[in-house]
Amino acid sequence: MSTPGPAVASVAKPAAAVVGPGGELPIVSSDVSFVEIETLRSREFIPEAKEALSALVKEQAEGKLIRPVFNWAGRNSLFPLHWGLACCAIEFAAAFGARWDAERFGVVPRSSPRQCDLLIVNGTVTWKVAHKLIALYEQMPEPKWVIAMGNCATGGGPFRTAYSVVPGVDKLVPVDVYIAGCPPRPEALLDGILRLEALIRERGA
Amino acid sequence: MSEMWINMGPQHPMTHGLWNLRVRIDGERILDVDPEMGYLHRGIEKISEDRHYNEVITLMDRTCYVAGIAWEHLYVQAAEKALGIAPTERSDWIRMMSEEFQRLASHIMWYAAFVQDLGLMSPFLYGMRDRDLILDLFQSYTGGRLTYEYMRVGGVRNDVPEGFTHRAREVLDWLEPRFVEYDRLCMGSDIFRRRCDDLGVLKANDCVRLGVTGPMLRSAGSKRDLRKDRPYSRYSQVEFDVATADSADVTGRYLVRMEEMRQSVRILRQVLDWLDSHPGPVLADHLPRWLGAPYAPIGREAYLLKRNYPKGVGLSAIEEPHGEACAYVVNEGGEHPYRVKFRSPVFANLSAAHHYLVGYHVADIPPIMGSVDVCVGEVDR
Amino acid sequence: MNPEDVRTKLAAAGAPGIISIEPFEGVAARVKFDPTAATALFPIVRDALGFPHLSMVGGIDWVERYEVFYLVWSDPAKTYLLLSADLDAKAPHIETASACWPSANWHEREAWELVGIQFDHHPDLRHLLMPDGYQFHPLQRAFKLHEPEDLEVKVRHV
Ligand code: SF4
Repeated sequence: MSTPGPAVASVAKPAAAVVGPGGELPIVSSDVSFVEIETLRSREFIPEAKEALSALVKEQAEGKLIRPVFNWAGRNSLFPLHWGLACCAIEFAAAFGARWDAERFGVVPRSSPRQCDLLIVNGTVTWKVAHKLIALYEQMPEPKWVIAMGNCATGGGPFRTAYSVVPGVDKLVPVDVYIAGCPPRPEALLDGILRLEALIRERGA
Repeated sequence: MSEMWINMGPQHPMTHGLWNLRVRIDGERILDVDPEMGYLHRGIEKISEDRHYNEVITLMDRTCYVAGIAWEHLYVQAAEKALGIAPTERSDWIRMMSEEFQRLASHIMWYAAFVQDLGLMSPFLYGMRDRDLILDLFQSYTGGRLTYEYMRVGGVRNDVPEGFTHRAREVLDWLEPRFVEYDRLCMGSDIFRRRCDDLGVLKANDCVRLGVTGPMLRSAGSKRDLRKDRPYSRYSQVEFDVATADSADVTGRYLVRMEEMRQSVRILRQVLDWLDSHPGPVLADHLPRWLGAPYAPIGREAYLLKRNYPKGVGLSAIEEPHGEACAYVVNEGGEHPYRVKFRSPVFANLSAAHHYLVGYHVADIPPIMGSVDVCVGEVDR
Repeated sequence: MNPEDVRTKLAAAGAPGIISIEPFEGVAARVKFDPTAATALFPIVRDALGFPHLSMVGGIDWVERYEVFYLVWSDPAKTYLLLSADLDAKAPHIETASACWPSANWHEREAWELVGIQFDHHPDLRHLLMPDGYQFHPLQRAFKLHEPEDLEVKVRHV
């Protein structure tokens, strides 16, 4: 497998015409409309599956755990917790909307922490919600990952000096990927998720 | 003894944000509710006392993140009154246009989230698709999708780019037939009607008593809309009707918001026509330098003493997508506001939760709370 | 409605404790009143003047005194009215408005918790935005914002 490089490259495409049910969708500015994912999953998916399966057969013969399969399956179906904290949650929702459609990466938000392996902290964390956040994190089954989405989750953002705000969610739970922006665009969120996948591939689940 | 308290939140698909609805139930029936807020209290009123007048605008976007520019509009109006500055005419029209676009985006976001709560998936996808077109428009003249930092005390930061009005009209042309589509998906669906009719009823006199405003009040037959009753900005110069319904229930709120979107499109067409034919400056002249970004701190103390600061108090009220929002800005001289106080419409609408939830069933909570359109950022501030 | 109308109507209804009635931009008038007269004044403003909708209640810390203000709206007159009262700096307290305008309930809880004004006979005066047991009133002038590096200090706050 090639080393994981930057997963997303935004390519300015000419304004594409999308035909909706009521005619042509007016794309307002061409530069924001679409992003081409360089390492599109489907290209790697099958070779990786083959690799994982052959490793499985080999390791089973040796009586080892089924790590590679686990890693491959886990990182291709990250289930984030469906939880809106603040403004960034709106961009989080937009990423699951029609234009960006994060579900094509196997990212499906679930409402119960017991079904999740990814906590996307999409907003300002206050001291009042801190212990609730930790409780949710602890309810998630291992292995689990945390993405700090936006400046607030990363370091307090515009509310850094406020009396009620935790200056960075890494004071509470371990964070794997930080996404800058206030709020980060949905592309940035997708980029963060792909980087997390690369991280899982490297580090193992 | 089958009564018990249950927590719905802070992490619950119904809440749309960070709050906790504590419900006392007996079987399926709701006996008492106690909304628990404050999980997103970010101290915006306190931080504002530490910011320059123009820097507070940054916080306004984050206060209500589905209607950021409407809150900017609210704040700059109050700050202008407190500082004794008047915006230019063109900037006032651009502000009004921004507010109406924001109303469209906010209502579409509400539609997407509310109908998804009822279990319909396609409205979410349709809604987010159409909302993104409005956000693209915002992006083309403010640079941001959600947090704009666009308005300034005395005007707006920049004029709309060339060709903007044309693109905006294209988007409006696309949106108008979509409303019919939305309606067909909801009002044409028997399941939707059965789920929403006669739910969460709050009559007009209760609304007034409890401080409930916005689409919730208008769905009970009241015609109060600050854009008409107390015209601010240039709302007295455009034609539109106030949307009302008389069922005072979830369906009524849906109908009011749908009609408001149509009226917003109507206002926007008039504003775009005006913008086409009236070029002009968008930022007032001779603004005091200290309104802008912080200057170099050399000799700061002496420089401060020499200056003449005006004093004053500013009050403004707008019809935000969720209801009546007010701002009270106290200017005691100096570069920072002395005190900023906001009235959030959702704050008041939520405080009445007891009156429109008790007596219904637990399964009715998502549609009822969805129809309230909760934005926790502005409740907690 | 202008300040003169407000004055005549208040006088006709026999409103107690009015200190001054002055013009204020954007509202009918600003009525300063004596906090001890609150219980009698609020129903008069609501019924005799016709302001049944309370928009907000807010408090301001002026260091040497506190101010509490009420913004009320009248549907027929289509205007706001601002009521304000000066409170003692040592123990700021005023009678609750929630008996007259039920919507004042949460606004007063917020003003109590953030500004530190006590509302007597409030039905449910407990924390709304900050966690239970929070000792401070952040919107008082004496409360200073922390640098985030003072994490320990903040943890002790909550
Ligand atoms: S990073 Fe910015 S947009 Fe995101 S939650 Fe914080 S303030 Fe809101």
